[in-house]
Amino acid sequence: MLQRLAEEVPRFFTYYTTMFLLQAMVRTIGLTLLGCGVGFVVGLLIAALRMTRTPLLLPARVLGTVYVEIFRRIPFLVILFIVVFVVQAVSNDVSLFAIAVVAICLLSTAFMSEIIRSGLESVPRQQVETAAVLNFGFWRTLLTVLLPQAWRVILPPGFAFIVMFIKDTSLASQMGVVELTFTGKVLMNRGFSPFLVYGTVLCAYFILSYPLSRFGAYLETRLASPRNRGSLKLLWSGPGAAEHSAVGGPG
Amino acid sequence: MTYTFQFSVVFAKLPYLLGGAVISLEIAALAFGLGAIIGLGGALGKVYGSRALRSVVNGYVVFFTNTPALVQIFFLFYALPDAGILLSPMTAVITGMTLNAGAYLTEILRGGIVSVRVSEIEAAEVLGMSLMQVVRFVILPHIAKTIYAPLSNFFIWQVLGSSLAAVFGVEELTGRAINISTANLRSIETFSVTALIYIVLTFVASLGLALAGRWAFRVKAKVF
Repeated sequence: MLQRLAEEVPRFFTYYTTMFLLQAMVRTIGLTLLGCGVGFVVGLLIAALRMTRTPLLLPARVLGTVYVEIFRRIPFLVILFIVVFVVQAVSNDVSLFAIAVVAICLLSTAFMSEIIRSGLESVPRQQVETAAVLNFGFWRTLLTVLLPQAWRVILPPGFAFIVMFIKDTSLASQMGVVELTFTGKVLMNRGFSPFLVYGTVLCAYFILSYPLSRFGAYLETRLASPRNRGSLKLLWSGPGAAEHSAVGGPG
Repeated sequence: MTYTFQFSVVFAKLPYLLGGAVISLEIAALAFGLGAIIGLGGALGKVYGSRALRSVVNGYVVFFTNTPALVQIFFLFYALPDAGILLSPMTAVITGMTLNAGAYLTEILRGGIVSVRVSEIEAAEVLGMSLMQVVRFVILPHIAKTIYAPLSNFFIWQVLGSSLAAVFGVEELTGRAINISTANLRSIETFSVTALIYIVLTFVASLGLALAGRWAFRVKAKVF
């Protein structure tokens, strides 16, 4: 097997294959950024909506909550299938990339909204009450009182989520969207060995996600409030096991 | 748009879909359980282990949490036969998901281990507690409280993640939905019902886990 690999490597890393892979990486980044960008904006709106207390907006609040709860409980693959078939029932002139973007936006909105909401709720209630006493409006309270304090709670899981999404976009290959995983399939069909192709694709994903997850971990320690920063005096820490990012993980 | 919904063809196949849901749960539970064993070893290695062991565990965690499970399983499924290891789709999916879960669970369990503070152990010793009492009344409750919510979240996530087994032809919930929709050509209806089953499934699972956590560890886990 090693012999075969050694023979294939020079054929594999030619200019065109490398460009092909780079383009695929750009598409993966594009899918992720579009999804997370839209997800962040709409998610913020939903989270803000769920903070309101007026009875007038009750139906909208319920709708927002139901949306978030539902879309966090459907696998991305199933969302993709539903979006593909619904869009195709409406119009058959939509590109697969656009369909994948819609599916990602639907999912990321739900997750982002939940992350932002937990950030907003981490701000002490008295802050909101003080803002109300000072006659701040809803938006002014949100933008100048809540968000500046909520960032430190929102950003670390936000980055973990973006990393999760880079990985989830790989499922879009099943719809035929030409991103990294699909490119791997194409290269394999060109006769390269799966070991080489999928090994390279794995490395490409790693190159995309690793800096982001490191940055998220950095922000987590950097943004932790000074009160909590030193509190984890580790009992069972081995020598030098001092770096203690809080429990990361999905969802 | 003139599309008339026909859910009856899907409802006729409901038992078949629900059988798939059971398989989804089985895959998730198996990957979670095996992953927890890896995770426990990894967490202990990361906290207690030598420098070399720690960097090995670290490398494993970093690599598996930063690459998609789908491609990891592609790799297992398509590349390992070159090395003479032939996995069935089901084995490949469970192996891949287990390795992936092991990486995440290493981090979660390590968070539990390091959450116990020295001062609390010292306080317990001052109160004259024996080692077993310290473990039973101080350390375990602490660990359970810290990791219970992330663990149950992760299990839900595994249930949703098991849907990628469909890509490899495993007939779990999503796989069976694909089977049905190719036969009845009612894709929107089929996948909507499938989505509904996933929602109910994960909701029941979170509710059960929250109640169990409240009963066993007095963890105030939120269902929503």
